[in-house]
Amino acid sequence: MMGPGVPWYLAVSAMLFSIGVAGVLLRRSPLIVLLSLEIMLNSANLAFVGFSRLFGEMDGQVFALAVMAVAAAEVCVGLGLIVAMARRNLILDVDRLTELRG
Amino acid sequence: MVFGSWVCLLAPLAGFLAILAAGSRLTRSQAGIVSTGSVFVGFAGAVVAFVDAWGRDADERGELTTAWTWLKAGEFQVGLELLIDPLSLVMMLVVTGVGGLIVLYSVGYMAGDDEERRYFAYMAFFVFSMLLLVQGGNLLVLLVGWGLVGLASYLLIGFHHERASAVAAAKKAFVVNALGDAIMALGFFLAIAKVGSLDFGVVFEAAESGELSDTVVALVALGLLGGAVAKSAQIPFHTWLPDAMEGPTPVSALIHAATMVTAGVYLICRTHPVFEAAPDVQALAAVLGLITLLVAGVVALVQWDLKRVIAYSTMSQIGYMFVGAGVGAYGFAMFHLVTHAFFKALLFLAAGIVIHHLAGEQDIRRMGGLRRALPTTNLTFLIGTLALVGIPPLAGFWSKDAILASALDEGGALGWILYVGGLLGAFLTGLYSLRLYLRVFHGEPAAEPAQAHGHEAHRGEGPRSMTLPVLVLAAGSVVVGLLNIPGVWHPFEDWLEPVAESLVHPSTGEEWLSSALAVGLGGLGALLAWRAFQAGRELVPDGAVRRTLEHKLWFDELYDTVFSRPAQTVAVALRDRFETPVVQGGLDEVAEGTLRGAAATSSAQSGLLRTYALAITISVSILALVFLVVR
Repeated sequence: MMGPGVPWYLAVSAMLFSIGVAGVLLRRSPLIVLLSLEIMLNSANLAFVGFSRLFGEMDGQVFALAVMAVAAAEVCVGLGLIVAMARRNLILDVDRLTELRG
Repeated sequence: MVFGSWVCLLAPLAGFLAILAAGSRLTRSQAGIVSTGSVFVGFAGAVVAFVDAWGRDADERGELTTAWTWLKAGEFQVGLELLIDPLSLVMMLVVTGVGGLIVLYSVGYMAGDDEERRYFAYMAFFVFSMLLLVQGGNLLVLLVGWGLVGLASYLLIGFHHERASAVAAAKKAFVVNALGDAIMALGFFLAIAKVGSLDFGVVFEAAESGELSDTVVALVALGLLGGAVAKSAQIPFHTWLPDAMEGPTPVSALIHAATMVTAGVYLICRTHPVFEAAPDVQALAAVLGLITLLVAGVVALVQWDLKRVIAYSTMSQIGYMFVGAGVGAYGFAMFHLVTHAFFKALLFLAAGIVIHHLAGEQDIRRMGGLRRALPTTNLTFLIGTLALVGIPPLAGFWSKDAILASALDEGGALGWILYVGGLLGAFLTGLYSLRLYLRVFHGEPAAEPAQAHGHEAHRGEGPRSMTLPVLVLAAGSVVVGLLNIPGVWHPFEDWLEPVAESLVHPSTGEEWLSSALAVGLGGLGALLAWRAFQAGRELVPDGAVRRTLEHKLWFDELYDTVFSRPAQTVAVALRDRFETPVVQGGLDEVAEGTLRGAAATSSAQSGLLRTYALAITISVSILALVFLVVR
């Protein structure tokens, strides 16, 4: 087997995931939150592909493709929302978008 | 034969559904035509089946046809079966024939009513229910028809739903009938438990073979009798029938003549093997019939409502049929049923013309001298009255006297009591029928009737659709009695013999003796009524007796005190003590608690996106930890 072993891939994946979580939790711009979500999804993809390689099966790769498709759809919706908010001159700050408070 | 009977059964149902489905797309008169037509198509089907059966040997006239297996539970199964045999054919012809004439009459009678379509749909449905009852090939199908007849009568008695009295009468009829249905169903449950089947043949065989204990047979017979007594308005379940006069007059005619009250007599004749296996119950049927015919006869003497007098006379005549069926003279009981259907329908429809003419007036104190204004009605009503009294050669003469002769032939103490009571009933019949006829058609015309309520005034005898059925029924009342002439021929009796073999065979001498006595007493009653009318006297002088009779022997008051009031008291107490505080209060508290809980929970919704994300992150981390640790 060429290149680094599967544990390395998993380590990178975990690191990316943590970065994503930190981004979602700490940043206030919805654009960045969305971007961080993408990072989390792709870290999961990396783990999928890594395990796929470990077990020599294609299932993980198929799953990664499915996740990419869903992520693309999600970005469409998310970006659409953000563009709509910008066009209504709303402040792009997730802490101030609290209209749904119970 | 099978085809004809299915046509007979389904045509009125089709008419009912067609009127329902078409709704306001049919004009009112078209609805009447559809309803009348469907019943007459049913009549044609019955005639086809009858002619087919007529051409066969006496033993092959019964046929059981199964549409499909309808209910199945383990060993027990019931099919949707029709039984076509001489007995059900007679009923089919009467129900669709007389019923068809009554529906035709309604076309004229109900013209201009606001809800004619509903009326005609119900009429067709009523005829269908009765046909299902008489054609049912096993006890369960019979019970279904039985219940549907009760429903249809409820709908039609309460047709004028804007009148509180009509609604109360409909409710009363339904409750009393439901009571009878429940008693009958209990009998059926016992039959299922002990015999394991509701097929006529199986149940009858079990009853006849003696493999069931006497108690079981007697209880099943009592169940059947309970249903029959309630449906046929015999004492003690008779109180609904006089009140049922709240329905439109053709409905009264249909209930009294062609459908509904005759069902009890039919049931006893149909299930006669069960009754024969329980002779005490059969004797009870005869005794109840006798009591009813006498009580109804005396109560009819003092009633003032035109339709109520006829209603009591129906109870009285059905009493005769019960006496006949009770002594085992099934052929004669059915014969009286058929002749009674003709002259009672005639009386009601003629009374309907009178009521129409007087713009809804039903009190005979405000009638009189109508023979000049309504000559045809006068004549036909007289024919009906004389047929009811039993004056030869009209229909009632042949059938009523045959029942009396059977009671005489039965002999013994019971037979003699029935015989003497029946003769007394003939006397009473003469009294009340002539009183009614004379009050309405003779004497001086009463003051102009109030035009206040009911139909708008239709002066005269009404349209052809009303007079034609009356004339046909009058002709029928004259001739149907000739189907059975003692000592000469008796095709009617022979026709029913294969299905319900009579237990008594009165000799020709007994028949003629009974006839002479009954006609004599009936004539005497009529004469007394005539004399009293000439002298301007009432038949029953004022006093305690009269008051008791006017209150119908206090039956309504008794039932009110014993059953109705306590039930209402309990219901009110339950409402005040349980329904309002516990059930309603409990629900209110549940609702309030939910609201408070929701208010508390909603404060957790901060609307801050990052709080939610943090909550998710922490939850997932905890779950992952738990997962790892527990593993």
